Amino acid sequence: MSFDVVLRSIFSAAFLASVLRISTPLILPALGGLITDLSGAVNIALEGIMLTSAFTGVVVSAYSGSVFLGVLAGVASGVLISFVLGWFHLHLETNIILAGIAINILATGGTIFLLYVLTGDKGNSQSLASGRVPNINIPLIQDIPFLGRVISGQHIFVWLAFILTWLVSIYLYRTPWGTHLRAVGENPQAAETMGINVKRTRMIALLISGFLASFGGMTMSMAYLTIFQREMTAGRGFIALAAVYLGGRKPWGTLLAAILFGFADALSHQLGSLRIPSQLVQTIPYIVTILALVIYNLREQAVKRERRRKFQEQHMQSMASVE
Amino acid sequence: MIRKLYMKPAVREFLRILLAITISLTLGFIITLLVSEDPVGAYKAFLTGPVSRINRTGEWIKEAITLTLLGLSVALVFKAELFSMGAEGQMLLGALVSGTISLFVPLPAILRIPLALFAAMLVGFLFGALPGYLKAHLNANEIVSTLMLNAIALRVYDYFLIFHIKPEGAGYNASDFFPKEGVLPTFIPNVPFLAEAYELFSRRANITIMLYIAIAVVVLVWYLMYRTPFGYELRMLGANMKFARYGGINTKKTVILTFAISGAVAGLAGAHLGMGIHEKLIANITIGIAFEGIVVALLARNNPVAVPFAALAYGYLRAGADIMERSSDVSREMVLVIQAIIILLVTAERVLPIVQQRVNNMRENTKAEAIEEGGQNVI
Amino acid sequence: MPPIIELKAIYKIYPNGVMANKGVNFSVEPGEIHALVGENGAGKSTLMKIIYGMEQPTQGQVVVEGLERHFHSSRDAIDAGIGMVHQNFMLVPSFTVAENIVLGQEPTQRGLLNKQKAIDETIQISEQYGLRVEPKAIVDSINVGMRQRVEILKALYRGANILILDEPTAVLTPQETQELFLAIRKLVEQGKTVIFITHKLREVMEVSDRVTVLRQGEVVGTLPTSEATRESLARMMVGRDVLLRVEKPPAQRGRKVMEVQRLTYINDTGRSVLNDVSFNIYAGEILGIAGVEGNGQTELVEIMTGLRPSTSGNALVNGKAVLNKTPREVRMAGVSHIPEDRLTNGLALEASINENLIVDRYFRPPYKKGASIDYKQVAELGAKSIEKYGILTPDGELPVASLSGGNMQKVIVAREFTSDPELLIAAQPTRGIDVGATEFVREQLVKQRTDGTAVLLVSADLGEVMSLSDRIITMFEGEITGVFPDAASVTEEELGLYMLGIKHQSKEEMEELL
Repeated sequence: MSFDVVLRSIFSAAFLASVLRISTPLILPALGGLITDLSGAVNIALEGIMLTSAFTGVVVSAYSGSVFLGVLAGVASGVLISFVLGWFHLHLETNIILAGIAINILATGGTIFLLYVLTGDKGNSQSLASGRVPNINIPLIQDIPFLGRVISGQHIFVWLAFILTWLVSIYLYRTPWGTHLRAVGENPQAAETMGINVKRTRMIALLISGFLASFGGMTMSMAYLTIFQREMTAGRGFIALAAVYLGGRKPWGTLLAAILFGFADALSHQLGSLRIPSQLVQTIPYIVTILALVIYNLREQAVKRERRRKFQEQHMQSMASVE
Repeated sequence: MIRKLYMKPAVREFLRILLAITISLTLGFIITLLVSEDPVGAYKAFLTGPVSRINRTGEWIKEAITLTLLGLSVALVFKAELFSMGAEGQMLLGALVSGTISLFVPLPAILRIPLALFAAMLVGFLFGALPGYLKAHLNANEIVSTLMLNAIALRVYDYFLIFHIKPEGAGYNASDFFPKEGVLPTFIPNVPFLAEAYELFSRRANITIMLYIAIAVVVLVWYLMYRTPFGYELRMLGANMKFARYGGINTKKTVILTFAISGAVAGLAGAHLGMGIHEKLIANITIGIAFEGIVVALLARNNPVAVPFAALAYGYLRAGADIMERSSDVSREMVLVIQAIIILLVTAERVLPIVQQRVNNMRENTKAEAIEEGGQNVI
Repeated sequence: MPPIIELKAIYKIYPNGVMANKGVNFSVEPGEIHALVGENGAGKSTLMKIIYGMEQPTQGQVVVEGLERHFHSSRDAIDAGIGMVHQNFMLVPSFTVAENIVLGQEPTQRGLLNKQKAIDETIQISEQYGLRVEPKAIVDSINVGMRQRVEILKALYRGANILILDEPTAVLTPQETQELFLAIRKLVEQGKTVIFITHKLREVMEVSDRVTVLRQGEVVGTLPTSEATRESLARMMVGRDVLLRVEKPPAQRGRKVMEVQRLTYINDTGRSVLNDVSFNIYAGEILGIAGVEGNGQTELVEIMTGLRPSTSGNALVNGKAVLNKTPREVRMAGVSHIPEDRLTNGLALEASINENLIVDRYFRPPYKKGASIDYKQVAELGAKSIEKYGILTPDGELPVASLSGGNMQKVIVAREFTSDPELLIAAQPTRGIDVGATEFVREQLVKQRTDGTAVLLVSADLGEVMSLSDRIITMFEGEITGVFPDAASVTEEELGLYMLGIKHQSKEEMEELL
């Protein structure tokens, strides 16, 4: 295949549609990571939350025969796991990173263990007839040339990812609770003196992040695929965390960063046909994230230096005018 | 602040860890009761498996060697009150570099093996120094940077494995077996005097000379931490960073070196995966072990001398779970549940209130003495 | 009119045995500006924390507008109409001014924030009280003066009738201070009551209606400002118990050890903390710096020891430049340092006593031998120090955290004295330690000086400065206000006038003596 063909395929509607599909299980947990990060806690457990709800969703939908109940149970399990994390962190004073690692191990082990108990198989849930969430076709939109083919017919979680990004940004910047959450993350003492309960606010942030990440998990097992596979989240919880930083800790920035990761992933498959190794292409977003961290901190330092210089200059001037 | 830091008796730590393990194992048994047809048999396999046969013991010891190195790597960083999740990336690159040398550098074993091990440590050192530098000079979050570097290392590893190391036309992503010159020799020398033991171990439980190397690294890390100026700097940094700076310690340099040395030890653990355990490079070579160093360091309370014991205990659980799975209807992942509970119980500051109560009482007493002695103070 | 706040016989004893307030009676009339003055450690802050609900009194009553109150948190105090502006601002840096003001009580419209209303309300109260702020500016980018106005508006937005300002001018430039005073007067005109904590007497005279002086946890007196003079207040503040006399042989002043030349430091917020400070220290003398805390002494010491960069100036130890060098370079030049905050800087609590003793020497012989630290030598040093400095502990291997405050300080003293310094900088060396340890530390300081070390003593305890020093300089607002070449011949009243900025020697007068 020539370069030309690949280039054309990259800008095809089908390719962009696949980017959205691949990005969705990153966008949703990344939003969760964003909310906890802004509240002043690092949620390393996104991975474990996703895995738990991916598993629970599949199992409950298979046994109840209802996709809706499956999704409901999946969300409940994700929120519950977050609650456990929050309880250990906030009330038992466990280091949140270590507690997060424990939760991830628990989720990895627990899902495989239960999968084996339920199906006798440790690899996947093939023997369970689990459900798939519906696709959404919107009559008008699907007629728009190109764009219609990108976004129409996507499953419900793709839509949800965008809607939730919008809701999260409203929550964070337009509601009192979101404002309190950000205040707690930045200056807990200031928030406390203004009567905001810091622990409760962080707990709520963790629960919301569990809620969001659980949709990410179910995207893997009830939309992208329709089975649960062991360790199927494969590090997406960590990538989601990177997207938060790459996205400048803002909802739409996080969404874009997550899509960039998805794009690199999809692109690497396309480039495979050009004999450009996909692995090397896939490192790009991570390198970019590190660079973003570096640039962000360099800029912080520069801003501080600049501010100090400005204040000192002002001071010198006022001294000069006094004399 | 003083109150919080008042003497941490080793007894209290040990009790906590012992209790945490007991509680977790009990919970594990309850789970086994619920899911198994023969819970007692399954649990017996779990608890006695690793010592039931020589080859199983061998698996256990090999696992413990890897865990010891990883635990030391993490303990170094933790002791300086820093955090690193970078062991996975450092292991991967260590495995990659040492594996490449083992496979392709035409030197006799006596040169090839040391070269490979050295190279693994060097690459780990450099790959560890990177997040250290970012942390010290740019204040970049070390958790995020090490996670990103892991992701990069994983892909670099896969790339070299698939495109350059894997033999032409091989079915799955793995290298050839290493030549004899590139595999770590058995820990018992092949001399007539020990011929019987050599036979037994090299065939049934191939524990390699990494056993000795790991012990040497334990001693070295202990020596480094507790006997050298650098170790002093590292520990003072962990105890009180402001004090370290006030006393004249170059804190940035110490941060970078700590990360780098931790990386070197993890790189060595990576070399062990290739040259000691699998005897070839395979895809996902670090799976399931990436963060285990953190658990070992936690159990050892960052004490290098305690690390091998924590690694043995912890490796025992892992090896036992493998055997339980093979000989019963309970899957090995139960051990992960046990492991998670151990971490949570060991790290929760406010768990085990009884022990805590005693410590508090002791603190009150010391405080009363301090007041008596101090008399009335000014603010 | 009945008082709006009345404290009756307040005692406060902290769990560590420190008695901060001893039977304080304090009352504030509605609509007045009441200044509360006293040296550091006089108990002002504790008293205000009790009013603001951050501390509970051990004994005594708090009466607000005629009702006895038991505040359990600052929330309760806020609800009772009390607002406090802390020295360290409690603001969220990335939020706008308006967002900070309404934080916790945001105006909403159908559940969403009403940002316009927040801005409007900010503008409204800002105009009502004459506190000029930019509602849409990000707090991180505004200067300290405006940050302080935001803090005051925050309290007013919550309906505060009584405002406590804790050393509000400490962070302000002179112009900003004037603006603040205008604003305070306007607040009072509109019926608010202001409690103004300070130790700057000029400001007391300028802005307050009445003044209460606290000393060592007790009220010395309350009087209308019109009946007070700066001199009378200074005497009330610094008068103290019998001056302790330390036996010391006459000073044998040797060569010049340290020269500080035209040192200036402007901090990150643009405030001039040190302004053109020059002095010399000679071998065999104790040079004392007298001054109320917060007048630049802390920064001066940090700059001299390499912990903080200076803005301009020069400092030489034995002719070798030490300014803006690393702490180790400064130490290698022969400078020892007893830090004012021993728990933050001076010690690693979890580490052993022995290890705390070697932080300045572990890297050189005899403590370093080959590639490692010779812990036999370290243990010997520990044993010797414990004996010589009377550190009460069974074993040098125990963590420093196991010691009492006085013994912790002895560990620092042992380390800093045994390094054989050319210059010893001692900042608040006896703060918060028991009588025995205090006496010991003082004796040791004199001994060092008699043995020929140059000693710089910085202390908020005037009695200590006077009894130990051979020569004294006074500091006020970052400048040297006086030099007293013969410490024995100066009275504390005299020093008080200089350290509170009431009197000032001219440059020419001081030049020879510095």
